[in-house]
Amino acid sequence: MNISGNTTVTGGTDVSVFERQQARIKWQQQQQQEQSFYNVNDNQFMGLVEIKPDPGLQYGWPDFSDGCQDQLISPLMVDHNVKKRKTHEDQKQKVVLKENGVKDKKSKGSSDEQSVETSSKDQKPKVVDAPKQDYIHVRARRGQATDSHSLAERVRREKISERMKYLQDLVPGCNKITGKAGMLDEIINYVQSLQKQVEFLSMKLATLQPRLDFDIDNLIMKEMFEVPTVAYSCDQAANSTYFQVNSILEMGNNPIEAMLRRSNGGPVSFNPETFVVSSCFNQMQPGVTWDADLQNLYRMEIQQGSSPIPFQPHKFTGSYGGSNLKMEL
Amino acid sequence: MSPQPSSTNPNSLKIQLAYQFLHNLNNLNSKRSNLATTHIRQRSNRVKIAAYASMAYVVGSRRAWSRAILRTIRNRRMLARNKRVDHKITHRPRSAKRRNPKRDYVDPNGNSGQEVKLRKLVPGVEKMDACGLLDETADYIKYLKTQVEVMKNLVDLYSTI
Repeated sequence: MNISGNTTVTGGTDVSVFERQQARIKWQQQQQQEQSFYNVNDNQFMGLVEIKPDPGLQYGWPDFSDGCQDQLISPLMVDHNVKKRKTHEDQKQKVVLKENGVKDKKSKGSSDEQSVETSSKDQKPKVVDAPKQDYIHVRARRGQATDSHSLAERVRREKISERMKYLQDLVPGCNKITGKAGMLDEIINYVQSLQKQVEFLSMKLATLQPRLDFDIDNLIMKEMFEVPTVAYSCDQAANSTYFQVNSILEMGNNPIEAMLRRSNGGPVSFNPETFVVSSCFNQMQPGVTWDADLQNLYRMEIQQGSSPIPFQPHKFTGSYGGSNLKMEL
Repeated sequence: MSPQPSSTNPNSLKIQLAYQFLHNLNNLNSKRSNLATTHIRQRSNRVKIAAYASMAYVVGSRRAWSRAILRTIRNRRMLARNKRVDHKITHRPRSAKRRNPKRDYVDPNGNSGQEVKLRKLVPGVEKMDACGLLDETADYIKYLKTQVEVMKNLVDLYSTI
């Protein structure tokens, strides 16, 4: 475990870096018990990964795996970062580098030196392989333990990986994708598709709109706002919507009911409809309770607009069933 | 106008979004009375604005993206009320300011890719760090999803009746 590769520049630098990193890994395995974030496979760019976060700190940006390559290719950045690292570390580390040591700082410093020299040259082909693997792995704790910047770095990176995991749950079909780059691509595609869906649906709604009149809806919805907040306190119950519908019905002074009765008049009476609807709701699963309530709401609005509404409860249940299926799909 | 603070229960969220969306649609319809005469594209654009506005109203000021949307809506409203040449003037410096920070972000890191795209997609995250960006994206996706479902159900309901 000879860590005296400071004199080498080109040529066998890869090997020496590798050796050094192997040494570091062994040291890590001795030291670390809790954290298991390391990927032993990305030895080759471990030293380079250290350099990577610094610009992230400066510019407030993580570069995900793509950025890793870019940074390595730009020697200017690397030089700058290495200088920064060197200022943070003790000066004597450089001195110790020249001796043999198994300690992390030395190895890190030496690897930094190495990486400065090698990054622009030989490491590129190897680095290309590494970022394909996984998220940017958290660096050795011991290596950065004394460095406040690297501590912050690590915390930041952990935060980011947490959020990426949360996003993985949100975006459907991302369970198989492990890389940050792939995840980001998926996220971008998903957001784009959602926005396009909104646009498409708004176009559809715009075509449907002139047919319907929303005049009384303001009042209805203001009233309806208050109702569900009461009802949803127990919305886990299977018959919650039934409860809601009944609560709407049974409120004696409910202006909705009064308005509906006034407007609907003869042909459509409120009670039997909602009675039928509520009987349908009883068979409903709790998961789609909101849907039934919404449909109730929409239905009432639509009744305001189009004057003669044929009383077709079976039709409504049919449509409800259809949309229920769509919901489940 | 937004109702009581939403729990994370998806059902209540959908209900809130639905109410808000319908409310905004009503406002749209009441304000611009000539529904039949306006072109379909304008109408669909208004519905789209209503959709995003309803999302933003439900969230309120808690999130950067919702604040950005509310800001654009208010600006639009103010510009529409003024109806002057200021409309053009205010646009130019805004776009000039917007261009520069983007370039600063792209150039030094050499990162031309995904984060920039994401910042374009999610409103209000132009100057946020990566953590915040992912946070806002997750929230935005959640609300977008429920908004899309609300709209789908609306369309289904209206098309069957």
